Amino acid sequence: MILETARVLSTSGIGQLGTVLRIAAPEIAVQARAGQFAHVRPGLSFDPLLRRPYSFNRIDRRAGEIELIVKPLGSGGEWIASRREGDGLDLLGPLGSAFVIHRGTRNLLLVAGGTGIAPMRVLAEQEAPRRNVTLLMGGRSVAHLWPSDLLPPSVEYVTTTEDGSFGVRGRVTDAIGPLLGWADQLCACGPWPMLAALGRLRDAADRAASTYPGRATLLDTQIAVEQHMGCAMGVCRACVVVTAHGNARVCREGPVFPLGEVAFDEGEPATVGVIA
Amino acid sequence: MPWRRARRKVERPVDVSRSIEESLEEAAEGEEEEDLVELAELDGATIAEAATGEPDPDREPSDLAIKLQNALDAPHREPPRRGLESEAPHRGRLPQSAASVRETTRVKAAAPSESAHAAALPETGVDLEVEAARGLRLKNPVLTASGTFGQGVEYAELIDVSRLGAIVNKGTTPAARPGNPQYRIAETPSGILNSIGLENPGATEVARKYAKAWADLGVSVIVNVAGYSVDDYVYVVHELEGTPAVVAYELNISCPNVKGGMLFGCDPGLAAEVTRAVKAETDLPVIVKLTPNAPDVVAVARACEEAGADGLTAINTVLGMRIDTKRRRPILGTGSGGLSGPAIRPIAVHITYQVAQAVAIPIIGAGGVTNTDDALEFLMAGASAVQVGTATFADPLAPIKVIEGLAAYVGGHGLASIRDVIGVALPPTPEPDD
Repeated sequence: MILETARVLSTSGIGQLGTVLRIAAPEIAVQARAGQFAHVRPGLSFDPLLRRPYSFNRIDRRAGEIELIVKPLGSGGEWIASRREGDGLDLLGPLGSAFVIHRGTRNLLLVAGGTGIAPMRVLAEQEAPRRNVTLLMGGRSVAHLWPSDLLPPSVEYVTTTEDGSFGVRGRVTDAIGPLLGWADQLCACGPWPMLAALGRLRDAADRAASTYPGRATLLDTQIAVEQHMGCAMGVCRACVVVTAHGNARVCREGPVFPLGEVAFDEGEPATVGVIA
Repeated sequence: MPWRRARRKVERPVDVSRSIEESLEEAAEGEEEEDLVELAELDGATIAEAATGEPDPDREPSDLAIKLQNALDAPHREPPRRGLESEAPHRGRLPQSAASVRETTRVKAAAPSESAHAAALPETGVDLEVEAARGLRLKNPVLTASGTFGQGVEYAELIDVSRLGAIVNKGTTPAARPGNPQYRIAETPSGILNSIGLENPGATEVARKYAKAWADLGVSVIVNVAGYSVDDYVYVVHELEGTPAVVAYELNISCPNVKGGMLFGCDPGLAAEVTRAVKAETDLPVIVKLTPNAPDVVAVARACEEAGADGLTAINTVLGMRIDTKRRRPILGTGSGGLSGPAIRPIAVHITYQVAQAVAIPIIGAGGVTNTDDALEFLMAGASAVQVGTATFADPLAPIKVIEGLAAYVGGHGLASIRDVIGVALPPTPEPDD
């Protein structure tokens, strides 16, 4: 990982998703992988204090550029989202684990909810030249969806909106059925309830016969998760989630985990319940 | 699988997007090590990474990495030899990366230029040596605070931790602890609230996993000891005794985030009891970390000194709470948590100032140190050293900047040593006759 003083090249608002910052960060870009994130310092002072983690939304190694989707949440998010062309930005990254696309995958299904589009767009751009890629994208409304013209032309996309303003009315899990039989591999990123719903699909597949459509794909699914984060260096243990192997740090062992290893609790990440 | 090599060379010689993942996958599937190495060499990302530094090994799925490690450790495999003379750095990268997945042994010089040119460091030749606790001489007064620096190995990827006066490791309990429920962290004005709950692998595991890494890092380690009973503290110290890099113990008698954690720190009698018991267990200096939440922190400090403590850390976090107004409940999973960061600095400086007048043993100031001037406040208030904690989350270079800043201060003010500023802001000591 690198501590890099980067420079904002351009910014653009993407509906209700947030502000996309295009950033010159050559040292980070050359190492970055889909699913990993940058920890961005919100200013030069210690108020606000904590860096904000943003998953890479685009990685251009040759140009030395990355893009981040920044929601103006809290004073730190607002500060970062209000950066303009030419502004400096203190980035720590790339951090965390990355999605692994299997060599033999022919049909790749990407599932994105809200700003969970970020790593899915990286995968779409990276994998579209090599295999069939379908992006299933969900949001509250059409304003919460990533613009299709900012996706590689060969990527097919299916959309769901909760208000029915675009595509299938409902959530991504309402539209995933027909795609499961098609896909060889599934990667997902989005809010916890969406990931938990995928987890329930996976559990159902796990209990079902081997002829269950998409069973192998569901069992093999990788997800990227979010958690309130402190240092992002693995020291503070604020960002842990419960996995089959005990607590795992989202900033180190994650944010990409096998779906089957993450423990959910009523649509939220499971949490250690004992206050001893 | 000869097809793979051919495809890579011909079809996408400069496409660099997936080398590491695919390499690991192939290792997991039992490919020959030779193939791996060759893949790495052919891959642009590898070359670029070799030039810019190591990738973070932890980002790889650990099971794959472990398989890779096993593959590479397999005794029947010899390192490949053909045509590699000019590319040795690339050849070495994958095995090294995989080996370093095991955090226990991962030690990387983050700033080789600094290590290689030690004579050129800003603090070289400046007398920053302090006695941070009785019997604990450190080359400079800048430490890292417990819970904000892990076991030292994590930030070693970014900074040269051997430049630090010492590190204080994550609070260590006799047995492993899973910690508290989410959320564990919340931002506050100029600070953070945390309620981690002393998540740690337990004393035996800490000693086993990190003894070698600490020695390799060349850093002095103060082990932060936590527990629920006197026996707990004694047990942890017993487990860590003899670990080469460990130079002292800091007794966390003041964790606000575990039930009973603050009990010892709030009661002078209990604080003295645990201090005495640990002193009997070890010959290393014993430092007691004070809590600002004690009704009479000066009384606790005096009791610890009388019980044989060699130093005091002032202060641990201040109890605090934030409410999520949308969900109408506290943000932190445990409700309350410990406030740290610049928000508590005036409290910490004040307690340092009070305690410094009450005890003769050295004090380590802690609480919101972000820069040189903050450190000087504590030193002038009577602290012999400082811990940089929460600031490191915002600026990982903060502890190093403070060392360099203090060196510049000593030079710029014509001081003989940094010790000349310790306690200069304290009121004059009364004459014995008074």
